[in-house]
Amino acid sequence: MKKNVIKGLGTALLLSGLLVGCSSNSSGGDGGGKVVVDVFNIKVETKDQLEAMIEKYESENENVDINLTTVGGGQDAASALQAKFSSNEEPAIFLLGGLSDAEKYQKYLLDVSDMESAKTAIDGTLQGSTIDGTPYGIPLNIEGFGWMINKEIFTSAGVDPASIASYDDFVKAVETIDSKKEELGLEAVFGFSGKEDWVTSQFSNHFTAPEFDNDLNVAYESTELTYKYGDRMKEYTDLINQYNVQPILSLDYSTSVEELFINDKVAIIHQGNWIVPSLDSIDPTFSQEKLGILPLYVSGDDEGFISAGPSWFWGINKEKDEEVVETSKDFIDWMYTSDYGKQQIVEEFKYIPAHDGYDIESITDPVSKEVYQMLLDEKARVWAHNQHPNGFGSTAFFPEYQKYLNGDISWDEFTATTSSKFTEMR
Amino acid sequence: MKMRNSTYWIFLAPCLLALAMVLILPFFQGVYYSFTEYNGFEVTEFVGLDNYIKLFQDDQFLYSLLFTGGFSVASVIGINIIGLLLALFVTQKMGKFNTVFRTIFFMPNLIGGIILGFIWQFIFLKAFEGIADLTGLDFFKGWLADTETGFWGLVILFIWQMSGYIMIIYISFLNNIPDELIEASTIDGANVWQRFWKIKFPLLAPAFTVSLFLSLSNAFKVYDQNMALTAGGPFSSTQMATMNIYDSAFKVQEMGYAQAKAIIFLLIITVISVIQLYMTRKRETDL
Repeated sequence: MKKNVIKGLGTALLLSGLLVGCSSNSSGGDGGGKVVVDVFNIKVETKDQLEAMIEKYESENENVDINLTTVGGGQDAASALQAKFSSNEEPAIFLLGGLSDAEKYQKYLLDVSDMESAKTAIDGTLQGSTIDGTPYGIPLNIEGFGWMINKEIFTSAGVDPASIASYDDFVKAVETIDSKKEELGLEAVFGFSGKEDWVTSQFSNHFTAPEFDNDLNVAYESTELTYKYGDRMKEYTDLINQYNVQPILSLDYSTSVEELFINDKVAIIHQGNWIVPSLDSIDPTFSQEKLGILPLYVSGDDEGFISAGPSWFWGINKEKDEEVVETSKDFIDWMYTSDYGKQQIVEEFKYIPAHDGYDIESITDPVSKEVYQMLLDEKARVWAHNQHPNGFGSTAFFPEYQKYLNGDISWDEFTATTSSKFTEMR
Repeated sequence: MKMRNSTYWIFLAPCLLALAMVLILPFFQGVYYSFTEYNGFEVTEFVGLDNYIKLFQDDQFLYSLLFTGGFSVASVIGINIIGLLLALFVTQKMGKFNTVFRTIFFMPNLIGGIILGFIWQFIFLKAFEGIADLTGLDFFKGWLADTETGFWGLVILFIWQMSGYIMIIYISFLNNIPDELIEASTIDGANVWQRFWKIKFPLLAPAFTVSLFLSLSNAFKVYDQNMALTAGGPFSSTQMATMNIYDSAFKVQEMGYAQAKAIIFLLIITVISVIQLYMTRKRETDL
C-alpha cells in the first residue's frame, strides 16, 4: 500500500513539474530573443490608434515585441488589472487611475522622474501620480468634462451658448429649449446617463473638487466628504432629472452618446472630450460644427468651471527584467516626445496633450482646443473623484444617487449616507 | 488485488491532483483569507471573526442574498415547468420536427451569459419600447429601470437560457418510461391528463432530483447574466450575491471581507442543495 502512495506521489510530482514547466515557458521575457513588453490598456476608445503606434515602434525596433491587452468600455478595468497582478501576469506598462492606484502598486512602480516624458509634462500634471515627491506615472493625456452641448440645437432654439454666463442663464437656456422641443424634434433636453456609475462620479466631481481646495493630495487624504456645495449639486440634479430622457436610470452611455446626442435627439449630455472619436466615427462633421462645452457654476453663480486634467498615468513595472524596463521607458518616451508620436497623439488619438512642445493649433476639434484653453486659463477643476476611497464612486455614491434620482430618498438622506460611507471606506 | 490498487491510484492521480490544485487548496486558502484583511497582494492583518461579524451588519449583502433567493425560487419553478412542457411537447410523435424543435429549444443554452444579457437588454429596452410606442401599453415601458422589472427581466432571461437544458434531462427520463405502462393505462381507460399525473409524473421523480439540483445551484451562482443585463442597477437593487461579493473584492478591494461573504454564500448553497436532494430523493419511486 505504501508503495502505491509513493507511486501516486511520484506521478503527482511529475505532473506538477510539467505544469510548472509550461507556465515558466509562457511567461519568460525572452520569447525568441525578443524583448517582450506587455502593455495593459484601459482606454478602449483609442485601442486601434495605440495598436498602430505599437506596430510603428516594432518596425523601428525589430527586437521588441509589444503585446497589448485592452480592457475597458463597460467593464471594470481596474478589477481586470488587479486580476492580472493577482495571477502573477503583471504587465510591464499599465495605466494608473490616480493616487490610490499609485499607492497600491507602489512597490512595482518605477520612479519616472528622469524620463524625458516626465520632464516635458505640463506643470502640475504629474501631481496625480506623485507620492512623497516621487512621480510614478507619465500622464496619458488631458481630459476635460462638463456639459457637452449641441450648439445647433441651442441656436435653433434661439439661445446663444456663448451668452450663458451664470447658473440662472443655464436654467433659462434649458427651459427655453424645453419649451421648443417639439419643433426641434428633441426627445428631451438632457441625455444624462444615469445608468453609468462613472458618469455620476464625474458629475459629482464638479461639486467635490472645490471642497477639497481643488487639490488632489487634499482630496486623497481627506477623511470626510461634507458636500459643502451640495445645495448647488441638488439644484443641478433636480434640473437634469426634470428635463432628462426617462427612465433616467436605464439610460446608458452608448444610447446617450451614440444614439440620442449624435442624432440631435438631446441637446445636453454630461461627458468629456473623449467622446469626440466616437462621434467622428459616426458623423465627422458633428464635432466640427455642432459640439460645444459648457461649464458648471458651483462655487459662485457666475463663475463657471469644467473639470480637466490627466485622467490616467502610464506606470512602468520596475520588477520586470532590466531590458524590459528600459524598453518600456523608451517606448513611452518615444510616444510622447518623438515627432511621429506627437503628431499621432494629437491627430490620431485626438488627445489633448499633457506635455509641452506640441503644436496646439494641430488639435483638430474645437472642443478639445477649448478644454485646453480653459485648463490654461485656470477655468478647470482637478479630477478629485479619482482620489476618493476605492469603490466609493461605484458602490456607495452611485446607488444612493440613483435612489435620489428615482425619488426613493431625500437629498438629506443621500448626503448623510454617502458622507458616512466616505469616512467608513477611507 | 495489489496490482489493481496501484493502477487505480495512478489513473486517479492526475484527476486528484487537478482537483487539489484548482479546488481544494484554493478553498482552504480562501477560508484562511476570510479571517484576514487582504488586499490581493498581501495579508495586512489577521482579524479573526471580524469579517463575519461585519457581513451580518451589511444591509446590501443581506439584501443581495434575499434577492438571489427570490430569483432562484422564481426561476427554478419557471425553468422546471417550462422545461417539462417542452420535453412533453418534443416527445410527441412529430417525425423529423422532434429533432428540429429540440435543437431550437436547446440553442439558448449554447450562448454565453454575457451575450444573452446584452441580447435581452436590447429586447427589454429597445424592442419593448417599440411595442409600447406602437400599442400604447404601459406594461412595456421602462423595463429594467426599476427593481421589479429588473427582477423579472433576470428571471425571464435565465428561464430562457436554462429551460432547453433541463428539457434534455426530462426527455431522457420520459423516453425511459416503458411503453407497456402507458399502453396498459390507456386500455384501462385513462385519459391524457390522468396518464400524465398518475403514470408519468411519479416516474419522473428522479428527473426532478437532477433538474431541481441543477437549476437551483445554477440560479444561485448567476453572475454574468446579471452583469450584462442590469449590472445590479437601479441602485444595486438587482444585485445578486455573487456580484456583491465581486464588488467588495475588486471595487472596494477588501478581498478578505469578500472571501468571508463567499464562504457564507457557499454554506448557504450547500445547505439548500443538500436539503433539496434529501427531499426529492425521498419521493423517488421504483418500478
